[in-house]
Amino acid sequence: MSAVPAMFNPISESNPIYRARRRKNRVLMGVSLAMLIYGLVWLVWILVTLLWESAGALSPTLFTLMTPPPGAKESGGLANPIWGSLLIVSSATAIGTPIGILAGTYLAEFGRGSWLASATRFLNDMLLSTPSIIIGLFIYTVYVAQVRHYSGWAGSFALALIVIPVVVRTTDDMLKLVPNSVREAAIALGCPKWKMVTMVCYRAARAGIMTGVLLAVARISGETAPLVFTALNNQFFSNNMNAPMANLPQVIFQFAMSPFEDWQRLAWGASALITAAVLLLNIVARYILSRSK
Amino acid sequence: MVKEHLSTQYDADLEEIRTRMLQMGGLVEEQVSNALAGYADGNSPTLDRVKATEERVNQLEIELDDRCTHLIARRQPAAGDLRLVMAVVKSITDLERIGDEAAKIARIAKQMHERGIVHLSGFSDVRVAANLASSMLKGALDAFARMDAEAAQQIVMQDKHIDSEFRSLLRELITFMMEDPRTISTALDIVWIAKALERVGDHAKNIAEYVIYVSSGTDVRHSQGQSESTALG
Amino acid sequence: MTADTLSLEKLPSKLQVNDLNFYYGGYHALKNVSMSIPEKCVTAFIGPSGCGKSTLLRTFNRMFELYPEQRAEGQIMMNGENLLTTTMDVGLLRAQIGMVFQKPTPFPMSIYDNIAFGIKLFENLNRTEMEDRVEWALTKAALWNEVKDKLKQSGNGLSGGQQQRLCIARAIAIKPQVLLMDEPCSALDPISTGYIEELITELKKDYTVVIVTHNMQHAARASDFTAYMYLGELIEFGKTDDIFVQPKKKQTEDYITGRFG
Repeated sequence: MSAVPAMFNPISESNPIYRARRRKNRVLMGVSLAMLIYGLVWLVWILVTLLWESAGALSPTLFTLMTPPPGAKESGGLANPIWGSLLIVSSATAIGTPIGILAGTYLAEFGRGSWLASATRFLNDMLLSTPSIIIGLFIYTVYVAQVRHYSGWAGSFALALIVIPVVVRTTDDMLKLVPNSVREAAIALGCPKWKMVTMVCYRAARAGIMTGVLLAVARISGETAPLVFTALNNQFFSNNMNAPMANLPQVIFQFAMSPFEDWQRLAWGASALITAAVLLLNIVARYILSRSK
Repeated sequence: MVKEHLSTQYDADLEEIRTRMLQMGGLVEEQVSNALAGYADGNSPTLDRVKATEERVNQLEIELDDRCTHLIARRQPAAGDLRLVMAVVKSITDLERIGDEAAKIARIAKQMHERGIVHLSGFSDVRVAANLASSMLKGALDAFARMDAEAAQQIVMQDKHIDSEFRSLLRELITFMMEDPRTISTALDIVWIAKALERVGDHAKNIAEYVIYVSSGTDVRHSQGQSESTALG
Repeated sequence: MTADTLSLEKLPSKLQVNDLNFYYGGYHALKNVSMSIPEKCVTAFIGPSGCGKSTLLRTFNRMFELYPEQRAEGQIMMNGENLLTTTMDVGLLRAQIGMVFQKPTPFPMSIYDNIAFGIKLFENLNRTEMEDRVEWALTKAALWNEVKDKLKQSGNGLSGGQQQRLCIARAIAIKPQVLLMDEPCSALDPISTGYIEELITELKKDYTVVIVTHNMQHAARASDFTAYMYLGELIEFGKTDDIFVQPKKKQTEDYITGRFG
């Protein structure tokens, strides 16, 4: 064995390899930080503008009064679109969630390794990234055009089509996170498979699946494009899901483009409401997920 | 005595080894006392019993060896447990040797009595050595049963008494032999017996040293001898 | 001193394996394995990783059937029936042959429900009967004293060793005849391992226990009989005392003494 040369110790500050690495590290850290600030600036700007502009619109009457007719003297509210949005979104969730969970369950628990499952997963991912306006058009063609009128239901169907892939994906992912050994433990007790899925896997993945559903709800509560072709709008308070129905995104779309200052103000108010709702849903989703750990 | 193990079977196995070891000690003690009693009164059946007991002692030795091997293989004893098992493995060798010495005493005693003792003082010559050896053996086994390092230390100290007793007995017998050559064969027999008793003392001392090793973890073998020789020198 | 008086040939066999072959797709994982696993004893399978010991264990409750590419050929006789071909419902079969896994697998429910879950699959017990059975199983698994005040809490809140004992309790709650343990202590600290080993010695009074372990000392301490496997073959099977003191095959000795390579 030859002696180690004494003049240069590679484990030292003066090592050029080490110094080059440090330099690269500093540059990359700087770039990431700049990008982070860039992204945050836009977000904060959006929120500040939103709060600034909607400040004048936020009042209790927002929840009690109907949308005003064009050029009305007395100020109006958003009671009918709030109610309409609630109806459309909740029925979309009610339709989409069970389908999504069941399909996700098939993918994760029963269809493992089968071609049907991989094909379904692929198509689901495509559906997940389909532009929502296309979904709106699709429902328009297969439903609205057939029954010959816009309706709340049509809006729900369109939004449900957005909910399904999100829920399928999260259910699939969350069930896959359940350790296989827990499944085997249930099977080893002599438990039939369906019982294992419902009693053990669902419980283990419950928080994740609920989070997925909430995020899907957050996603659809701001969707405008599918509703343009389906639910349309309504000046009046309505419980009839078979008729056109007022909803917040549509109100924003219509009122913001109008020349009336009163309408524009309401559009800002609606924007603030949707943002607040989405924020709230996200917080709840995070809370559920963190508590389950 | 000690806190129990998580495994009750382990405790039971260790306890079994201790018990068997003490049982073997009891048998050996009995052999020594029978040999000495037979030598004293010339009772032939008592002397024969020494031989008979030896087989049981040998069997116990084999059995204990086997148990210790299996215990080490299956339980991987550590620290105090390991020292105990090691001490048992070594002690049974000493016990078996003591048994051999007892058998030797019995054999010589039997020959002497069959021949008819040419009257020296006979048994009374070795009485002191015999008592010392017996009490050392008993003490060593007691110390083992109670894992009493202090008592064991006492036994270790006693070994030099029996050594000096052996030397003085030897000088005495040499005097006899020089005075009257007819006593030579008997005197030699007595020397053999005394030597056997001295060996019993040595083995008892070994056992006592293992007791110190088990209870304190220090190996006192040979160190004692050195300090003694420097003291004498 | 039970093992002293035991001998493999004289004991009644609980699981009789005859010419068992096992395949993972095209890979031949078990080659003509034949052995007789004695009743109410602890039998350990040892061997290097990939030797097929876990595979063998998982044929006993047909766990491999969850994975379509795996298949077993041969005979595993229990109570006069070939487990591999029996018409008995596989759920019932698995209820007779409990299993405990390498990692603790508590279900995401309360401690009480973890135990009750398996019982409810096969028995209709009223409230007090169920409470008694849960207490019985937890006591048997030496866990009752630690959890009796928090039965309604989640099983995930227990320590690793406690979770593993919970899984053992869950397995014995449905009163199986055989208990399979797949490296039950490999994720546990030495103290918990000690508890589980002591528990295993207790359990063999009522159950036939089969353990897979890659820890030889664990097999040495906890088992009555040991099988050494290598590359899918059963190399040697005999009393643990003999295997660990005087194995008959050189291969076994090399493995046990750490001269494996």
